Amino acid sequence: MSILEVHDLKKRYGKIQALNGISFNVPAGSVFGVLGPNGSGKTTMLSIILDVLNADSGNYSWFGQPASPDLRKQIGSLLETPNFYHYLSAVNNLKITNSISGRGDRAGIDAVLRKVKLYERRNSRFSSYSLGMKQRLAIAAALLGDPQILVLDEPTNGLDPVGIMEIRELIIELSKKGHTIIMASHLLDEVEKVCTHVAILKTGTLITSGSVDDVLVDEDIVELGAADMEQLKAALSNYPGKTSTTVNAQTMQLHFPKGTASAEEVNRYCFNHGIALQYLSIKKKRLEERFFELTNN
Amino acid sequence: MLNLFRTEWLKIKKYPGFWWIMGITVLSYPGINGMFYFIYKENTANTKNAAQMLKMLLGNPFEFPEVFRTTAFASSLFVFIPAILVIMLITNEYTYKTNRQNVIDGWSRNEFLIAKFLNVVIISMIVIALYVIVTLSIGFSTTGPDVKDKFQLAHYTALYSLQVFAQLSFAFLLGLVIKRAFIALGVFIFYKIIVENIAAQLLNRFVHADTGRFLPTESSDLLTPIPAFLGKLDQKVYDHALGLINQQVFITIGYLIVFWGLVFWIYKKRDL
Repeated sequence: MSILEVHDLKKRYGKIQALNGISFNVPAGSVFGVLGPNGSGKTTMLSIILDVLNADSGNYSWFGQPASPDLRKQIGSLLETPNFYHYLSAVNNLKITNSISGRGDRAGIDAVLRKVKLYERRNSRFSSYSLGMKQRLAIAAALLGDPQILVLDEPTNGLDPVGIMEIRELIIELSKKGHTIIMASHLLDEVEKVCTHVAILKTGTLITSGSVDDVLVDEDIVELGAADMEQLKAALSNYPGKTSTTVNAQTMQLHFPKGTASAEEVNRYCFNHGIALQYLSIKKKRLEERFFELTNN
Repeated sequence: MLNLFRTEWLKIKKYPGFWWIMGITVLSYPGINGMFYFIYKENTANTKNAAQMLKMLLGNPFEFPEVFRTTAFASSLFVFIPAILVIMLITNEYTYKTNRQNVIDGWSRNEFLIAKFLNVVIISMIVIALYVIVTLSIGFSTTGPDVKDKFQLAHYTALYSLQVFAQLSFAFLLGLVIKRAFIALGVFIFYKIIVENIAAQLLNRFVHADTGRFLPTESSDLLTPIPAFLGKLDQKVYDHALGLINQQVFITIGYLIVFWGLVFWIYKKRDL
């Protein structure tokens, strides 16, 4: 079942085509990463699905139903920057979130403030918070009432390394509990660690989307090494089925069409050619590498 | 509706700016009317001939029923103070981007605007309550028992209410369109005091003698004419102004519909 279905969304700002017919589905229970360089349309897309921007055309649905304010109340969201009343404390700001969305209660407010480690400063004015504290409050607001759906736009912005790790663990914990999380981020390493699905945007166009494994694996890579690298290189120069070879100082990589590589066959081939391998591994591309390939950066 | 009101109360009850400007409003309305009253009293209390002649000329603008018109006019000069508050309450939402957060959290755009509409209604009601308190206080303390029909001009309460609500609605529209508090306030004051007065004079002179009264805030300004004693300076013009009030009521209601129609239309079309 899809939590969110986005169909052919288009949005133009003057001469700039910010979104050019974006379509994808977010499966229930997934951690769905939305990736893309600056200006790729991530925030525009999230803003449309949260109804703060009007799409020029296309549509989207939450829970299989047309979007509505009542459905939005069930979604915890952090969009772009923490937006709070500067003269109010964390508690009073969250009371407003509670009053509008109906999510959480007074005990719930304290609980989320403890979770994001702001409880001690709960009565301080928002204007007195550091950037990281403001971001933590925004995350607390999104978590209020334990919504099943979270939309988080750059949730680790402004956080220190410990804060980033805490948010990563929080996302993993929520995912294990069955929450669906839609997350836009520049931090590919973070996305790779927590996301089950990704969509990659570039200049308003969806380049690819799907499960992380499907997106990352466009070919099979066998990485191997031996004491005599020259002999290994010579022996594998005519290995059947490979599409290309990459040679490093201590290892080399054989590239195969997706789903065709067999480490066992490579090992046997080398053994039959009198080479004892010191290292053999099926390697997956890093998301970062794949992202740069797809976005041509 | 109750939830919208409750949420707005959560926003403003700990907003220092709200209480400061509300405090200034509460002080300024009795202040300006009280000041006029005491100037009048001082200048007419003397038993010398000149003072008594002045009293004869002015009548008693602070006695019932004339006090309703006098305080309505004096109070209308200070509508820019609650207008500051109205403009701040909407522009703050843009400054803090909380207008978009309210929608993200589950309000529809219309609910956000209805909540703000309630703000304008409540601020108007506070200003009107001040007018009523000041008018009754001055009226009862100055009017002798011999005066009949004390409440003959009480309908100025309704006219002043309409004027306040129309002008605060105009201020709200400017705040919503301009988004920046100081610019919106500057435009409001500049437009109301300078642009519209000049435009009204030009229209009256070059288009038609009565065209100026159709301008957005001039239309409601004419709901509360100058006190009767000032009208004696040109009784014909004054009588004409009094005769136009009924028409100005409909023009003002028309503008109110336009103001709020524009507010809802702009906010529906605008990206937040």
